[in-house]
Amino acid sequence: MSDKITRRNFLKIAGAGAAISAVLTGCGPMSRYIVRRPYTEMPEYNQTGLNTYYASTCRECAAGCGIIVRTKEGRAITIEGNPQHPLNRGRLCARGITAQQGLYNPDRVFGPIFQARGDTGRQARTSWDEAIPLVSEALKSPAGQIAFLLGTAPDHLYDLVTEWTRSIGAPAPLRYSALASFEGRSTLQEAANRTFGKPALPYFDLANAEVVFSFGANFLETWLSPVSYSAAYGDMRQARPTRRGYLVAFEARQSLTAGNADEWIPIKPGSEGLVALALARLVAEARGEATPAAARSIDPATVAETAGIEPAKLTELARLFAASEHSLAIPGGSAIGQHEGLAIAQAILQLNVQVNNLGLPGGVFLTNSEQPTTSLTEVKSLVQKMNDSQVKVLFIHAANPVFELPKVLGFEEALAKVPLVISFATFPDETAMLSDYILPDHSPLESFGYQRMLAAADRPVYSSIQPVVAPLYDTRATADVLLAAAAAAGSPLPYTDEVDFVQQMIVPLISAGGFYTAPEIQTFWSRWLQYGGWWVTEQGLDAEIAAGSSRPATFSGPAALEEDKQFYLVVFPTQLGDGAGANRPWLQEMPDPMTTLTWNTWVEVNPETADKLGIHDDDVVRVTTPYGALEASVYRYPAIRPDTIAIPFGQGHTALGRWAEGRGANPAALLPAAVNEAGDLAFGDVIASIALTGKRRPLARVENREGVYGEH
Amino acid sequence: MAEVSKGIAEKWGLVVDQDRCTGCNACVVACSMENNVPFTGEDNVAFGRGTYWIYNKRMWEGAYPEVAPAFQPVMCQQCGSAPCEPVCPTFAAVHSEEEQINLQIYNRCIGTRYCANNCPYHARQFNFQDPDIPEPMNSYLNPDVTIRRRGVMEKCTFCVQRIVAGRQTASAEDRPLRDGEVTPACVAACPSGALVFGDLSDPSSRVSQMAQNERQYKLMDELGTRPKVTYLKGGGRNGG
Ligand code: SF4
Ligand code: SF4
Ligand code: SF4
Repeated sequence: MSDKITRRNFLKIAGAGAAISAVLTGCGPMSRYIVRRPYTEMPEYNQTGLNTYYASTCRECAAGCGIIVRTKEGRAITIEGNPQHPLNRGRLCARGITAQQGLYNPDRVFGPIFQARGDTGRQARTSWDEAIPLVSEALKSPAGQIAFLLGTAPDHLYDLVTEWTRSIGAPAPLRYSALASFEGRSTLQEAANRTFGKPALPYFDLANAEVVFSFGANFLETWLSPVSYSAAYGDMRQARPTRRGYLVAFEARQSLTAGNADEWIPIKPGSEGLVALALARLVAEARGEATPAAARSIDPATVAETAGIEPAKLTELARLFAASEHSLAIPGGSAIGQHEGLAIAQAILQLNVQVNNLGLPGGVFLTNSEQPTTSLTEVKSLVQKMNDSQVKVLFIHAANPVFELPKVLGFEEALAKVPLVISFATFPDETAMLSDYILPDHSPLESFGYQRMLAAADRPVYSSIQPVVAPLYDTRATADVLLAAAAAAGSPLPYTDEVDFVQQMIVPLISAGGFYTAPEIQTFWSRWLQYGGWWVTEQGLDAEIAAGSSRPATFSGPAALEEDKQFYLVVFPTQLGDGAGANRPWLQEMPDPMTTLTWNTWVEVNPETADKLGIHDDDVVRVTTPYGALEASVYRYPAIRPDTIAIPFGQGHTALGRWAEGRGANPAALLPAAVNEAGDLAFGDVIASIALTGKRRPLARVENREGVYGEH
Repeated sequence: MAEVSKGIAEKWGLVVDQDRCTGCNACVVACSMENNVPFTGEDNVAFGRGTYWIYNKRMWEGAYPEVAPAFQPVMCQQCGSAPCEPVCPTFAAVHSEEEQINLQIYNRCIGTRYCANNCPYHARQFNFQDPDIPEPMNSYLNPDVTIRRRGVMEKCTFCVQRIVAGRQTASAEDRPLRDGEVTPACVAACPSGALVFGDLSDPSSRVSQMAQNERQYKLMDELGTRPKVTYLKGGGRNGG
């Protein structure tokens, strides 16, 4: 607790910023500085019946969209995009819009608990006075035996923990999210490194592209930064008066993105690399250039046959790609999250090199952003260390590894071997339930912080996070808990609390040429909160990207299947994100765009295949892979290869509250622990079998509502 | 009772650009959060009793492998000559002369559901139950919008509370409303910029301009409902 700044002083300081805009408030219910009082004593910044707006950052995924939260009488009412924010420009996705359903969720953790790993007999509420010494003791463990597993947001906590672990020589914190696996983030970054010589996430200028080839990139749903890519998609279609962009999607199961494409080319999973090389060869031919080294031994006709498409189609598409002045190829998660994913990603990125779109409008740029995750390889070695009893204390924040990680990885079993597990979860999720203590962080809308790794920002951006309501429960900012505990443990960091840390971190921004500045940090800080962050006015990314040479690659191609017995398995993310969205009732009730299904898990089977196997809609099937099995109802999905089945990720919770629990099945049970060369989960080339169970369970679909009053 | 006449005034209008719309359903959720639309749970959705003021009509076109969904977000079309209005025995479905939109007076509604039967767009939603929003989840409910009980019909209002708020702000500042000042929740959310809202009586407004687009069409215009929502056809092979 800081007593340096009193509430009134603070408001005075913050008031300096308030002159700038009448709409957005720079001050707010800043948990630490403001005492909660009954509303009969209304705080100055609030007036009954009038809205108060706060700018902050969405923390529902790692993208970091700017939000404006409308509050009334201290309650968060509606969340909209921040129109000034350079990433999402006022727009938002379904997850950001429903963040209040996390804040006001009745199933949150109300205060620090001794959770006793689910042993109900021993569970007890504890207090922060007891919890801080406990964390402090834990931080005194031998440096090498302390482990932190963090989520992909927020970045400030990651920076703080990194600084602390570095100061005592402990292993750096790991960050994980199932979404990052589905995006193939590590692979994308490593492929960019090998292709362009810099380990940064590439930025694809979709808005200005004319012919776009997407290889399994579901950028309209969850991939990297769906809101900014959706905005760019809209502009690619209609913002230019004379030219409408053309989108071609190569993937076995039609995602929403592929559903919006002009052409969907259902290639076999595992053939993406070959197809990219064949296209490289055909594009070179069409442009009258020499065949790239990597593609010299490729025969496009054979590749087309292997991939399961018409050779003429491939030629036609290559000509289209070669002829346009603004062609763009995007390597997405399901294509690069495979065994040979890194080489596949490089082959796809090389298509951009071939048409010279690097650093040009409609082409590829490099962002300033590293990908905010560690690879699965590192998570695997953590699990190994846990199994070898080399981890004495494990801290977990904003990640739910028991739910998100492939079951065969054995995280749950390894967790049992760690003597002390401390979770900072705001919800009693699967991992928190198996912890010794839950020391709940504030919910994102009650927190301070920032996101600095914005994967699809076209300029340097720091996005600020501030509380929009006073904390509802006896929760405490994890950064504060760690700072207090580290000080008590004799390894203090030079910050009094979380706000002090964030302020010190942004000091360099004062003179970094953003769209505002200030003579000192307090004034800067109030603007930082008021605008929802800091960024530069001019769009600008590294246009100086050099292309390395294309490396000869050989691809083993798609695995052979036993017809009608074995299927390629596609596991895809939905609006539930990494699964944390499953306790938001409106995300559950929101129809899945392609199937209109709600509230459950389904298995997508091509109707032709279903007929052959005698499977009807809503029949429960058992899906088995070498790694595990699950049961779910079938949805006959017309837009999937007959030799492929697909299952959405995010349901199948055994914890996480009333709206999430006991609903659907978790496909993490079907996934391997294998990784590709960049350390990303190889989930894209798994083979599964299906069998009828004889059971039937109707799925809740919205699409037949037209028949509600008549025939079904 | 609404008269079917030629010179019906135009006021608020919405344009849906289907070439931009990705079918992401952010509008569905944004509308529900703004307008206190209750979530109903899996069983109710399965029975066709889910409540969506705006829903995405997803129609499969073509056959594998040339199959693709066409998305069409459908909300109340705010018919200038609304079939839902004359059938209501209690005058709960009424026309706002000032805004030229169709409103539902919840405390007049006795739940005959005649209006829903008569609406050709399935825009009307019936509350088969009281909303079940446990504390403190109800904290985010929008105080500007009534919470509806069981037995009451409801539907898209073009976010009339935002229209009123915008008009009040403008009149307090003694100026006319600016184009784009009023944004319904769905329009504000839409990530791809597919939705445009504004004043159709002002020919220079963005919505009036876009409604002239050569791709424009109205949903079931042949019924003579005079919808205030204009759709712009998708431009591609799969477009709406
Ligand atoms: S894309 Fe991510 S950050 Fe942006 S609104 Fe959606 S969940 Fe939030
Ligand atoms: S939010 Fe926009 S893009 Fe998404 S479904 Fe609605 S209208 Fe279409
Ligand atoms: S769309 Fe339906 S509910 Fe809306 S005004 Fe027309 S008839 Fe009435």
